[in-house]
Amino acid sequence: MELQTLAMKDATIVDDGTTERTSYPYVTGTSVIGMKYKEGVIMAADTGGSYGSTLRYKSVERIKPIGKHSLLGASGEISDFQEILRYLDELILYDNMWDDGNSLGPKEVHNYLTRVMYNRRNKFDPLWNSLVLGGVKNGQKYLGMVSMNGTHFEDNHVATGFGNHLARPILRAEWHEDLSFEEAVKLMEKCLLVLLYRDRSAINKFQVAKITEEGVTISQPYALKTYWGFSAFQNPSKGAVGSW
Amino acid sequence: MFRNQYDTDVTTWSPAGRLFQVEYAMEAVKQGAAAVGLRSASHVVLATVNKAASDLSSYQKKVFKIDDHIGVAIAGLTADGRVLSRYLRNECINHAFVYESPLPVSRLVVRLADKAQLKRQHISGLTLIILQEQVCTQRSWKRPYGVGLLVAGLDETGAHLYYNCPSGNYFEYQAFAIGSRSQAAKTFLERRFESFNNYSRDELIKDAIFAIKETLQGEKLTSAICTLAVVGKDEAFHLIDQKIIEELIDSMEIKEDAPADQAPVTDEDGSTGAAPMDI
Repeated sequence: MELQTLAMKDATIVDDGTTERTSYPYVTGTSVIGMKYKEGVIMAADTGGSYGSTLRYKSVERIKPIGKHSLLGASGEISDFQEILRYLDELILYDNMWDDGNSLGPKEVHNYLTRVMYNRRNKFDPLWNSLVLGGVKNGQKYLGMVSMNGTHFEDNHVATGFGNHLARPILRAEWHEDLSFEEAVKLMEKCLLVLLYRDRSAINKFQVAKITEEGVTISQPYALKTYWGFSAFQNPSKGAVGSW
Repeated sequence: MFRNQYDTDVTTWSPAGRLFQVEYAMEAVKQGAAAVGLRSASHVVLATVNKAASDLSSYQKKVFKIDDHIGVAIAGLTADGRVLSRYLRNECINHAFVYESPLPVSRLVVRLADKAQLKRQHISGLTLIILQEQVCTQRSWKRPYGVGLLVAGLDETGAHLYYNCPSGNYFEYQAFAIGSRSQAAKTFLERRFESFNNYSRDELIKDAIFAIKETLQGEKLTSAICTLAVVGKDEAFHLIDQKIIEELIDSMEIKEDAPADQAPVTDEDGSTGAAPMDI
């Protein structure tokens, strides 16, 4: 019996018989936010890739379409995201090759990703990503998240990383069923703006993607208007007691 | 007979281009007790004749639930049928584990058909390339499966009925019958199949029972001799209770005592001998 596990590729076999595995990320993307709206699912992320504390890459697309029915957004290690895209590409390819009217929907892709992430975590060689998977199939909207340890769930709105702390409270207060597309974008931009102000790895260059029964649209990157004239920002050290 | 020289093992071709072992395997299917399948747009029904080794024993199980949305009826070497059912269940459950969704029927039957050959099966993505080693027509120390399967199932593309042959062929059917005296059932189904797509669930079940009746040719149709199973949209695959089968048979027999326009018997070719109405 031939056994070939593609997942082993990331481990390096060193001569003394031990294997080395990745245990920390290098180039990372920050938050992704996703929410359901009337016709489907909307997802947004900035296009930044940080190298530690340096905002090194400014045009990284962190949201990609998967097959006909899904969108995948990722935060965390960019190279691992690219690897996941390769796996999914193969998965969708084989699915299309059947050419039999059946196709993998967002639920199936989400579950597949969960299995992949959990499997890698069990080998102590995780794919260092938090994934947001959204899609529409046969009128059913789907939005789910998978983390690097395989924790997965579905919800009406999800976020990764800092988005969980800064964006989700806004969404919990203001999201409701059947948002129009314009309302959803407005709500999304509100969240993105907060992240831009407060997340140091966020850059002012965002992509907003939507998926409906008709298909996927990913916007061109654009910037949000920021306001730095708040009085608190004028003299930042005014209230601070310090020795220098 | 002349073909004896080329029928010793499954990897020998005859000069006429036939694999006799595979054909003999298909003979085994013809010897088994009958099984029929009928499909409408939303439901699929399977019915089999229960053959018991003796009056003292219980009858052989011929209908297997593979998953909530798929079931099979077999004819032929029922032992092989059990092995294949286990394989099918495994495939379904593995798919459901990874994708949290039911395996499409057409993909399941392809895997089953591949198993009848010796094939490499590539399961995509992160996972493994598996060498299928079970049965085959390509290794001389293996024999083909001696069982035909009627695979009934539902998926997002609709209701499906497939027939998988020991040769590794499979076809989709509106209705089909296999096993001994299945020709009588096929004749019955051929006359009616065009309207099956619009049948209600109950009409489909009734016709399945009628079809089984045709294969009995003289024997009394009772609920003990017939197993019935149905799968439909919003209805998981399950065997129908014996009591219900009895009620259905009774309601059908009452109709038959009445002026028999419904009874398909009258247009049966006379060569069958004993008229099934002689019950």
